[in-house]
Amino acid sequence: MSLIAVIDDDQDILEASTLILKARGFEVISANNPDDGYKIIKEQHPDLIILDVIMNEPDDGFFLAQKLRKENVTTPIIMYTSIAKATGLDFSSGGMIPVDEFVEKPISPDELIGKVEKFLKKQVEK
Amino acid sequence: MTEELKGHILIVDDEEALRTAVRRILELEGYKVDAAQNGTEGIAFGSAHEYDLALIDLKMPDINGLDVLKEIRKKHPNTVCYMATAYASYETAVEATKLGADGYILKPFSPDELLNSLNSGFEKRRWLLEAERLRKEREESLLEVAFERTRLKTIINSITDGVLVINKKGELAYFNQASLTLLDITYLPLGIPIIEHLPVEIGQMIVEKFFDIEKQTIAFSIEVSIKPENQLYIEATLSPISENDKSLAGVVVVLKNITEFKKLELLKSQFVSMVAHELKAPIAASIGFIDIMRQPGISITPEQKIDFLNRSHQRLQSLLFMINDLLDISRMELNKVTREIREVVVEETLSEVVNLFKVDIDKKQLSIGMPEEAGKHVIRIDQNEFMRIITNLVSNGIKYNRDKGSLTLQVKQDAYYTTVVIKDAGIGLKPAEKERLFSEFFRAKNEHTKNIHGTGLGLSIVKRIIEAYSGKITCESTYGEGTQFTLSFPIVYRLE
Repeated sequence: MSLIAVIDDDQDILEASTLILKARGFEVISANNPDDGYKIIKEQHPDLIILDVIMNEPDDGFFLAQKLRKENVTTPIIMYTSIAKATGLDFSSGGMIPVDEFVEKPISPDELIGKVEKFLKKQVEK
Repeated sequence: MTEELKGHILIVDDEEALRTAVRRILELEGYKVDAAQNGTEGIAFGSAHEYDLALIDLKMPDINGLDVLKEIRKKHPNTVCYMATAYASYETAVEATKLGADGYILKPFSPDELLNSLNSGFEKRRWLLEAERLRKEREESLLEVAFERTRLKTIINSITDGVLVINKKGELAYFNQASLTLLDITYLPLGIPIIEHLPVEIGQMIVEKFFDIEKQTIAFSIEVSIKPENQLYIEATLSPISENDKSLAGVVVVLKNITEFKKLELLKSQFVSMVAHELKAPIAASIGFIDIMRQPGISITPEQKIDFLNRSHQRLQSLLFMINDLLDISRMELNKVTREIREVVVEETLSEVVNLFKVDIDKKQLSIGMPEEAGKHVIRIDQNEFMRIITNLVSNGIKYNRDKGSLTLQVKQDAYYTTVVIKDAGIGLKPAEKERLFSEFFRAKNEHTKNIHGTGLGLSIVKRIIEAYSGKITCESTYGEGTQFTLSFPIVYRLE
């Protein structure tokens, strides 16, 4: 059974994502701020991290991703954003933010599951 | 020509008879004549006035004629001087001309001899004057050119835009002070190959757009970061300088400081992404809940379903509030707010607003301190806007209060301001939170605020409104103890 950590400061989205993933049979741990997120990741070593950019606390989502990578945590990270389209920023190029994929919110349950399974499959192959 | 020039002649001679005779001859010819009876007087006359021609006796009792000539020449170098001498010899004649005389006349002379000599003297005078005129003209135009150059240099050096001129060989031909500042260089010698000293982007553009292309006629612009993190950002405009045949003579580079513009641009794009993020969050949450309810694979209880519907509704409701707030901000920014300014009694609005929140106040069992009704204060403001300000602050004071806490409202007045104080005994703000309190979308986030909803735009709007009335709003807060907002409005008068 794969363990997925979901970190989002939006309580509603956090709950919805958790429910969708659990319905699909994944084990889910969650946190609604980057500090708690860091703790659960370090303690429970999830197989995949779904991380929101968390705009209200500037750069906190980015910051957490960078911190994890610096500490050699190689767990795949899917980052939720809602700003790429608005700013025209292409997060995927340049490698400024060390995550594996950017996902624009909102995302349908099927899409979310699709992405998650893609990464977990890769993990198994490794 | 000579005939037409009936000039002004000075005779310097100690022999009265000769003076009289010469004067008569010349006056008959139409000349104007002055006569000096010795050398001293000759110098005085000849210095005071510029004569066309002077006829000076070489030998006078007081001063030698050659000295008189020298003195006159000092003052008027273009006066033609003829020496008159009675004991002419080759040597004296040579000496006289060597020392600057234009010619000599032997005494005694006939009127014809005199007039002939004077004619050639006048001829010479004409040439001298013409040469003088040309010299002056040349000096003047040189002066003008020099002046024009200094002036242009001063102008170009005084402007805040940088100007660099590069010749077709890529050498620096001219630069002004501002260009050094804008390129962040301390020194540039003229004549050096400049391309490599310029920021790479500018150098490349000069080579590609001008040097590599025979006859370039259009200008190009490029934005370049000189110091990182938006400390110095410039826009370089490169224009060709063309020869008459349209071939390239050089390139003039104008550098403009666009740092402030860039900062604004960044602020704007940050604001846009913040707005996008904030608008999308409630949509994403609602869609998330709806997706769950639609998905056959996910089973939820009827209670969960009602909860999700309520929460979706609430998120969409808050989205609507946010859009309205944003539209209000936009209207304020564009100065398109119509205000109906009239006298408003502060105390009346305060109690009106507090009454609106009676249910919430009772629910939290807050004790409310109201200002005394005795001395009423009046401010000039749009009633709706004032309601909005007070509603926002009172609502915050209740939302962020603790159970059985207190909310105190006061009205004060000094010589300049009518002041409203709204003080709660709530959860308070951390210093970092206080700093960002009035910025858009900021909402204090901690264990106490989890269940408090808001758009994050309220205080930003409050501040904008108050400032529109030349008022100010300040905040004092201690984390865990409470927050106090102080609103000051310029005074109108006090009701008696």
